[in-house]
Parts: sequence; structure tokens; C-alpha cells
Amino acid sequence: MIRRALSRMAWALAVVWAVVTITFFVNEVIPSDPARMVAGPQARPQEVARIREQLGLDRPVAARYAIFAVRLVHFGTSEIDPKDPKHATCAAFGPVHVDLGRSYVQRRPVVTILAERLPRSALLAAAAVAVQMILGVAFGLFAAARRETVWDMATVAATLVGASIPTFLTGLALQYVFAYRLRWLPFDGYGKTTGAQVTALVLPAVTLGLFGAAFATRLVRDEVSAALALDHARTARAKGASRLGVLVRHGLRNALAPVVTVAGIDFGQLVGGAIVVETLFRWPGLGLVSVSALLDRDGPLIMGTVLVTSIAVVVANLVVDLGYVWLDPRVRV
Amino acid sequence: MLSARAIERTLVALATSLVVLGGCNAALEAPFAAAHPDDETPRRGGTLHLASIADIATLDPPIASDMFTSSVIRLVYAGLVDFDRNGNVVPDLASRVDEVDDGLAYRFTLRQGVRFHDGAELTASDVKRSIERALSPTTPSPTASFYQSIEGYDAYASKKTPHLEGVEVEGRYLVLIRLHERDSTFLPALAMAALRVTCPSAGESYSPSLSACGAGPFRVMPGGWERGRTLTLVRNESYFRPGLPYLDAVTWQLNASNPASQAFKFSRGEIDVVRDLSQTDTIRYEGDPRWKSFVALEPVHGMQGDSMNTEIPPFDNVEVRRAVAAAIDRDHIVMLKSSNLTAVTKPVPPGMPGYDPHFEGQRYDYAAALAHMKKAGYPFDPATGQGGWPAPIVYDLARPSLQELTAMSMQQDLAKIGLRVQLRISSLPTLYSLTHRRGKSQMSPQGWEEDFPDPSNFLEPLFSSKSIGEEDTLNYAFYRNAAVDDALARARSERDPAARARLYEQTERVICDEAPWAFEFAYRFFQAHQPYVRNLHGHPVWIADVTDVWLDRERDAVARKEAPLLRALSAGLGVAR
Repeated sequence: MIRRALSRMAWALAVVWAVVTITFFVNEVIPSDPARMVAGPQARPQEVARIREQLGLDRPVAARYAIFAVRLVHFGTSEIDPKDPKHATCAAFGPVHVDLGRSYVQRRPVVTILAERLPRSALLAAAAVAVQMILGVAFGLFAAARRETVWDMATVAATLVGASIPTFLTGLALQYVFAYRLRWLPFDGYGKTTGAQVTALVLPAVTLGLFGAAFATRLVRDEVSAALALDHARTARAKGASRLGVLVRHGLRNALAPVVTVAGIDFGQLVGGAIVVETLFRWPGLGLVSVSALLDRDGPLIMGTVLVTSIAVVVANLVVDLGYVWLDPRVRV
Repeated sequence: MLSARAIERTLVALATSLVVLGGCNAALEAPFAAAHPDDETPRRGGTLHLASIADIATLDPPIASDMFTSSVIRLVYAGLVDFDRNGNVVPDLASRVDEVDDGLAYRFTLRQGVRFHDGAELTASDVKRSIERALSPTTPSPTASFYQSIEGYDAYASKKTPHLEGVEVEGRYLVLIRLHERDSTFLPALAMAALRVTCPSAGESYSPSLSACGAGPFRVMPGGWERGRTLTLVRNESYFRPGLPYLDAVTWQLNASNPASQAFKFSRGEIDVVRDLSQTDTIRYEGDPRWKSFVALEPVHGMQGDSMNTEIPPFDNVEVRRAVAAAIDRDHIVMLKSSNLTAVTKPVPPGMPGYDPHFEGQRYDYAAALAHMKKAGYPFDPATGQGGWPAPIVYDLARPSLQELTAMSMQQDLAKIGLRVQLRISSLPTLYSLTHRRGKSQMSPQGWEEDFPDPSNFLEPLFSSKSIGEEDTLNYAFYRNAAVDDALARARSERDPAARARLYEQTERVICDEAPWAFEFAYRFFQAHQPYVRNLHGHPVWIADVTDVWLDRERDAVARKEAPLLRALSAGLGVAR
């Protein structure tokens, strides 16, 4: 068990390293000039040249990759002094420093930007996945229990609609109804108090959740129906177990593994930023940051967001993998 | 019983109606009236709520590169001079500005008793420190070279001298700035963001962690700038112009990139001014008589067109370029986004010295365009479609951009004179790396927004041969004309405004005729404001000129109510974080 976990983690590290390195070089290969992006389209060439030098972009690619790799994880004091030119852009985890450099455009340490944005993206991702799971399991079970009736068909039709409408349209419609007409919820933003933050979270989470729920519903419905058709479920029913009991114990329990897989992977992806929904609701998560980093060719910030996103996906997968063991006794053997 | 198909149809219909409802609700909300519409006496107090599609890039004056950021910096930091509502340079921190030494120096007499936001008095040495900080070679300033006519600039910028020789403190309230050559753009450039005076706490050199502090009408509320989210400025109670500003605070929602949400918020009174409306909403506001007095198009600050690389055939042939300039139907382009675009036929926007209202510039004339093609040696017969330039012309543009639309119109126009244009679409950074380098791009859409309102700011970077560079050029057309170079150099040091304007007029005529660019259109923002926002006006330079704006709102008349659910939750969980 432990060996399995360790080997999975080693693989995960290798994957993250590969993703980061590939990103670094792909970003170099595409013709572009980050110094020009920082200085603006109208800056005079001498200014652009000076900024290029200040950003260290006049050095060869290999040298910059070496600097990036050496700085990424290193040792230092456990307190960061923002005045110390050597470690001003580091984040300290005890004596271990993580340094992703300074964003070209924002001129702030990338770790600071990520520390600000990551929890918000994670919050939105968790809320969205929760909405998706609750709706998905509820409607999926409902449809499975009423399989081949008009209710089942209606649920399937609704999931088709849910999966087909793009999130910006759902989001806009929800915004119109709940913020503009009913005034129950704020249009967008993040909110300053806990209460405001909770209300601000509702619309983006539901927008994302509805989209995911469509797929989750179908998954639960199909898995549960398949499980209910098996002999042991019928036997349980024949022996007098309640309909609900069979549905949950024999149906849902068997459906959980794939559903948890989907939820985990969705969570990992959403942590990297739900770009459309974050933009629509001005949710200050990673999505907006990674898009503007890409558009500005803000190298350090691109590396930072890619690193975080790939770690999120890899960790989510790892957790799902290990979760299987707990959910499905057969894997333990 | 309903069939499954019927249910599916109903659901789809319901979803569609919901979306349609969200997209275009039938009527515009009425404006929220001012409480005292006939009383012109300004009232103090209140917070002005604004939104911006963009983020603020920085609050450090020399780092600013875009007009929105510069306009906000201008509210926080006062400068020696500023622009008034007519675009004239007027004294600001200086009580007077004297030209001395035959235009080779300016003496600034500072107002006395001006206080920074942190309470310190602003004196001449702060001016010198701020200028040196801004122009220091370690400061990543995108505009430093605008000030290279200051004596000693080159030595200072190349770290040969520790101080900028040309800036002298002559007394506690006296600053002299000497130039090594006469420069008529110096004062307009000085009025921009870069050299505005920073508090002593900003230090002598650039640091990425500046806490914004100046002597402007507003100061940044502590913790009031959350990147990509909001910026709140509050009144500087000790501002040197007594009684101003009227507003307690002004706040921006940043990155408000969804025009539909902005329109919703505006009609609910959650924002008081809206500037980024969709085309549909713009037309509705424009057409509604109730809104007539509260909507306006902002002044034009720039222009857009197509740059033709004069070093790459067929554009090395002036007749082909003339043909392009005559073949493009600007009225048609403008129709693509009629509420925001206006046709442009020459490089310098109206309102600047040297803008000649009688000069037509480049004119759409199809027959003339065909004649120019013939003269160029590539006659084209529209009846048979034979002739013209044999190879396709590659036109570089970025996505997403307005030019994706306008390029198609241009493409159709040029096909009618025998020029087959192929669009090559890339991202903005890639586009820059093509169009800013020699020999990489044949033709591309280009534009220019004023860095400061002066014709030199348009003509020199774009059309002077001095601004051609191998690896990084702003003269995208690689256009060379000795007469243009000469006139631009003379105009820069010309002290007589009339003579200077004439030089720019002449230059503009040559450029329009030789057509390194086909000038096409300018983008104007359409702005709507609630009637209770008083004294709001467009400005020829700045975006939010709110120092003398005041609010005249009926108490509770405006629906800036918190949502009931939000209130309940805030009351229940109301822990400020």
C-alpha cells in the first residue's frame, strides 16, 4: 500500500517536472517579446531594450532555465525579508524556499500572486464540485429509480440541455434573474465580509455546478441502473430490502468509484481556473491570472500558474487513485 | 401524459426564453434624476462608483504605460503642470512657469504650503528627487525618453553621473529645468504621469513595493487597491485647491470585462457611469430620449489604419500605396461599429496644433485608385478581374481585435483594385514580434494613441526615419522621406506656435500623399452617466477627470440596496475579513 503510494508520488513529480519544462521551452519558441508587452505597444525601442535587460531577457534561454530550476526549490532562512534581493521573491516553508521569480507585468513575487489567488480558485472549485455532486447524485438516483419512465426521460433531456448551454450563457441568465431581477445575490465580485463572500460564491458555483451536474447525473444514472440490474441487487430486493436501501447500498455504492473519479479530476481542473466563469463573475481566481499571463507573455507568472495547475491535477488524480482503495475493496487485493 | 419528446421541447423552450430574456430585456430603465437639477452649486460628499474593463497596471508614476493607469495616477499625484479641459498645458503644483534662456530652460515657481498625503511639505527638492527617480536607469519606465532633451539625460541614463544635471533646485520653492535643445514637446510630456511628484517615502530609486503617496486631489485608501478587483481613492483633505475634490471617494470595479454585467449594474445604480457598453446597449441608450442629456461620445485620442511596409513590394511603389489609400471606403468600415467608430483620413486627431480642418487627407475615390494601379504598372480591369498585383499580400493581425472585422472590409475594397489580401492571424505578442522587425511583415493594422496631445507624438515615432530600427521599430512602414525628417526636427525646436503648426500641416500633407499608411478610423468610447452625477465631462487627455465632479443624489432614491439575502447573511456572519 505504502509502496504503491510512493511510486505514484514519484510519477506525479516526474509529470509535474515534465510539464513545467515543456512549458518553459514552448513559451520560448513562440516568437514574442515579453519586454515589449511590459513596456506597451508604443514604448520607444530604447525603453524596451532597457526593460529587456532589467528583466534578464537578454540572457540565453539555457541560462534562464538553469536559473529558474536552481531557484525553484532551494534552502534559506525561514523568515522572508522583502528587502533581501536574494530571497525577496521566495515563499518559505520552514527552511525550504520556493522561488518563482517576479511577474514581469505586476512586478510582484509570483508566489505572492499565487498565494492570493489559489485559495479563491480552490474555494470556487470545491463549491462547484459540491453543487455538481449533490445535483448529480440526486437526479441520477432519481432517474435510475424511475428508469424508462417519463421522469427518467425528462432528467436525461435536462442533462442534455445543461451540458449543451455554455457557461457564459447560463451565468448571464442566472445573473439576470438572481442579481438583476430578484436582487437576491450580488452580480459579481468577491465580497469583503464572510457573508458577502458566501453570497458572491453562489452564482459562479452554481453556473459551474450545473454544467458539471449534467454529466454527473448521467454517470450516476447509468452506473446505478447497471448495478441494480445485477443479480445481488435483485436478490436483496427479493429478500425484502427496501427500495431506497437497495438503491443506495447496492446501486450508489457501486457507482461511487467513477463518480468520485470525475469529481476529483474536475476539481483538479477547476483549481487551475474556470476562465469563463471567473471572467463573467469577476471572481479573482487563477483563471484570470493565467489568461492575462499568457496574453502578456509574462514568463514567470505563466510558469507559476502552470506549476500550480499541473500539481492540482496530479494531486487530484493521486487522491482519487488512493481513494479507490478505500471505496472499492477489490483494488486492495 | 406528456411524451418525453414534448418535455424535452418544453425544457429547451424554457431555457431559450430565459436566455433571450437575459440578453435583451425590453426597455431601458429610466435615469435616476438629480435631487436638485436646477441648482448648480456643487455639493460635497458621496462616493462615485465606476467600472473599468481593464486593470490598473501600477500606481508608480514612471511605470505607467496606458492612459487608464496614467489617469488614475494623475488623481493621486500632482505634477508641476497638467492639462486643462481644452488640452492646454497649465501650471498645477507650480504657481507659475517661465520660459528662460530663449526656450532652453523652464523655471517653475512652486505653490507654497502644499502637503503630501503623509503630511510632509512638498518642496523643490522633492521635485528633483521624483524626476531623478523616474528617469533613473534602474527604473523600468516605458516613457523615459520623452524627457531626453533635459540636459545631462544621456549621462544620467548611462549611469555616468549620479544626478540629473539639468534639474536644479534654486530655492525651497524654485526649480529650474534646463534642456540641451529647444523642445516644444517638453511641457506636454511633463504634464503626463511619469514625472509627477512622489512622497519622500518613495525614495530615490525605484522599488517594486511602492506605497502610493503624492499630493494629488485623492489618496489611495489603505488597502484600497486589490489587483484586478477594486481600487478606492478617498479625498485628500489637505489638497492644495481649497474645497476640492467634492467627492468623498471614487471607486472602480476593475476587470469588469463583461459589458452585459456593466449594463445591468448601471441600470441598478450600482455603478454611476458606464463606458464599456455592448453595441446593442449603446444603440438603445443613444436612441432613448430620456437619456439624451446623459450620454456622450468621448473625444478621440488616437487613430487606426493600415501600415504598408515600404521596403517590401508592392508597397515600395508609392503608386500602389496611393491606390490603397484611395480604394478603402472608410464610411463602410465605420458602419461596422457605427456607435463607436469615426472615419479618419489623416494621422493627427482634431484639436491638436497643426490639425487643419480644411485639409481632406486621404479620400475614397475608386476611379483614382484604379488610375494609381495603372500608373504603378499593375493595371486592373474590374470587368474581367484581370491584372493587378500577381501575388497575394499577407496582412498580419491579432485575435481578438476589432481589426478582424475591419480587415474584411479592407480586403474586399482592395480586391476591387487587383490586390488580393490574405489575413494571417496570430496573438498580440506574436504580432508585435512580426511588425516591429524589419522585413517581417508586409502589411498590418496599426494604430496610435496619444502619449501626450501633440502632433509630434504621432508623426515622429511613426514616420520619421530616425525611429526605424532593425529589431524594434515603431515606424512600421519603414517610411523614409528626408523632407519629412527635416520638417519634424525643425518643428520640435520651433518656438512660434503658428510656424510650428504650419510645419506639421505640411508634413501631414506629404504623409497623406505618399501613404505609408492608409488612415481609416478612430475609436470613441460611448459614455452614459446617471443624472445625479454632476459636472462630468470628457477630457482631451484624461479618462476619469473627476476632481470637480459632484453627486446630487436623492437620499434612498437610488436602488443601491444590498440584496436582502446578502444583508441577512452579512448580519448573521458579518465578520469583516
